Amino acid sequence: MAIRQAAPAVRVRKKKTMEIVAVQVLNSLFYAAVLFLIAAGLSLIFGVMGIINMAHGSFYALGAYVTAWSVAAAAAAIPPAALFIFLPLGAVAVAVIGLAIEPTLIRPFYRRPEEYQLLVTFGLLLVLDDVIRLVWGGTPLTANRLVDFLGLVQIGALPYPVYNLMMIGVGIAAALGLWAFVYRTRFGVLLRATAQDRRMAAALGIDVGRVYALAFGLGCFMAGLGGAIVVPSQAAVLGMGVEVLVVAFVVVVIGGLGSLEGALVGALIVSALRTITIQFWEETELAALYLIAAIVLLIRPTGLFGRKS
Amino acid sequence: MDKEHIQQERRGFLKQFGATMGAAGLGAAGLGTAAYVAAPRTANAAVQPKGNIPAKPIKVGHITFLTGAAELLGGPGQRGHVLAMEEINAQGGVLGKRKIETIFADEAAGTDSNVKELRRMKLSENIDLFTGVISSGNTPALGPVAEELKVLTLFNDGCTDFLFDKAVPNPKYTFRVTNIQSADGVTAAIGTATHWPKVRRIASIQPDYSYGRNVFEHFVLALGKLLPGIEVVSESWPKLGSTDFTSHITKILGAKPDVLVVGLWGGDYVAFYKQALRYGLFDRMKVATTLAFGGYPHAIGKDHPEGVLAGVHANYHFLYPSAERWPINKDFVERYHKRWKEYPSFESDGAYTALYLYKHAVEKANQLVGGWPNDEAIIAMLEGAGIDSPAGYLYIRADNHQGYKDAVTGLSKNLPEYEFPVWDPNSIVSIPIRSITAPPNWAKPGHGHNESTAAADWIKKTWPSAKT
Repeated sequence: MAIRQAAPAVRVRKKKTMEIVAVQVLNSLFYAAVLFLIAAGLSLIFGVMGIINMAHGSFYALGAYVTAWSVAAAAAAIPPAALFIFLPLGAVAVAVIGLAIEPTLIRPFYRRPEEYQLLVTFGLLLVLDDVIRLVWGGTPLTANRLVDFLGLVQIGALPYPVYNLMMIGVGIAAALGLWAFVYRTRFGVLLRATAQDRRMAAALGIDVGRVYALAFGLGCFMAGLGGAIVVPSQAAVLGMGVEVLVVAFVVVVIGGLGSLEGALVGALIVSALRTITIQFWEETELAALYLIAAIVLLIRPTGLFGRKS
Repeated sequence: MDKEHIQQERRGFLKQFGATMGAAGLGAAGLGTAAYVAAPRTANAAVQPKGNIPAKPIKVGHITFLTGAAELLGGPGQRGHVLAMEEINAQGGVLGKRKIETIFADEAAGTDSNVKELRRMKLSENIDLFTGVISSGNTPALGPVAEELKVLTLFNDGCTDFLFDKAVPNPKYTFRVTNIQSADGVTAAIGTATHWPKVRRIASIQPDYSYGRNVFEHFVLALGKLLPGIEVVSESWPKLGSTDFTSHITKILGAKPDVLVVGLWGGDYVAFYKQALRYGLFDRMKVATTLAFGGYPHAIGKDHPEGVLAGVHANYHFLYPSAERWPINKDFVERYHKRWKEYPSFESDGAYTALYLYKHAVEKANQLVGGWPNDEAIIAMLEGAGIDSPAGYLYIRADNHQGYKDAVTGLSKNLPEYEFPVWDPNSIVSIPIRSITAPPNWAKPGHGHNESTAAADWIKKTWPSAKT
């Protein structure tokens, strides 16, 4: 009798545990999708141009602000479904800014030692953060309409936003698209050739300046897209760029700077590890990320997919 | 014991604290008849300065967050300071002669830079007064330097107990205007026990730094005394500045708490509630916050759920005290809104009141000694000073230079007059500050006890526990 009573209770608890696990896996994938977009851009820029772009997080923030601002501005005028146009638009806006910044600010520093490049991109980070504050002020911007428009699905008893599911899809599509672009298009070949040997590529008649500008623009597009897709589910707040930059660096350190596969695997590892520590060892949420990065650096100094230099 | 009886006992217990709800009176000790008001003076109330007053401007240094996520707190603080400065200068300056000139610096530059900046302000700009500072990480670093440089300092916030418990245990030049930090967690606990006496299972999400630790410790400690048999079922410690909280939220949902205590603030809190809303968190538990209404009031949207205990750092919300009972607040809010086209926050009140407190002390000292008083004379007047601020009565305790005013919190509600949520007027809990802070000269940590704060030791030793 006692056993027969206990059995349903155990089953209910098991079902509840499965719900939590399922939602946590989705949470982790969503976070990984955003991290991948940022880290892939960071890696792409480093892989092709050899620049460690300290301002990369600020491009992510810019994408978030542009999208949130344009969604809020247009919300009254156009139907909610049409607001989704502002997700790619936020990314395009950031790419255009990137295309303008590369020849003016970054290009003069290619021949200088790395610390100059770090300084100039770090300066760019500070300038962009101030620009964001001057343009949009300190109040967080939001674009929740997009999340609410798509509604919720029930995972067992727990609601989950459909928007987040869609954005996991966007992350997967971006990973596939980027892979196809780099490995299956003519421009991808030029990109990889330039990354391997800039002088040889130039000698073969490749317009290296154009390749650099486009690579930088593409990297910025990815960061902007990351910000654009994250903002409807969260909020655009000051300082979000620096916050994400630190985690993106952990991702590329684990995956290997300059490697797209590394960015993907690094994002998945960091995101899963973060979710697991939050769920089970809450005190180690921060320490675990840096610990794993340190272990990877000790065992494989170039990261899991990094090239030996 | 039947349920009714338990309820009675607990009510009696809460009553010991003198906590009042809704439209009850301003529960502070009277401060004498000739109250000094933090506001521009009416024409017939001008004070005649005694002796010769130089016309040289007063130089004030003000460090606050002008960039980054904490601008949400620092911005209103700066605007409160500027409003007080403009008002005082429009009336001819302090003692009718000395206008105020303020040098601002960005607190986001980091603790080391802030310390350097304070030194620079004193040594090369020769400031007369130092004000501002939001972060609890910064006041313990700046306090000892202010003492060393002998620069009169009125901290706006940076309210950690550690400042006057340990970093500057015997302050001479440093004062602080806003309520002490431990009062924040305790206020949230009393608000929780008042509104939701049946909660037992507690979950917590706090930013992983000194503030979050302090809130969690004092909330659990106080609630454990107020409600019998509470249990912490889930803890989360996201990094300050995080914006992705989905994994924390799912974990909290899985723990099935009755109440969630939230110490997240600024952009972190905005991002948190947006995500928690879509994950159905607010439908499944009560939520008690310490700083939900701590930034610009309009930073929180009307999508914010109603019935959340919306903390203001236990200090001030612009709708309380109400206009009919405390016109000083209504007038302040009107002047502030006219100047900045937005509503003030507790930081606005703190920075605004700090400058008037200085003016008040200078005027009192001038009456006594004539001429421009030296710092010693001003400090003597600041110790034990009382002022009628927008938030109510504020007094500065002489033993630890800490400002005390009644702690407040309330439940969020959307009223049609405002484009952002405010407090439900009937839900506001106001607590006499002496009921929730260690009394003067209570042993500091390291002197007879090793609790994290004097307040924690005092609560453990003196508060009765609610009966089951």
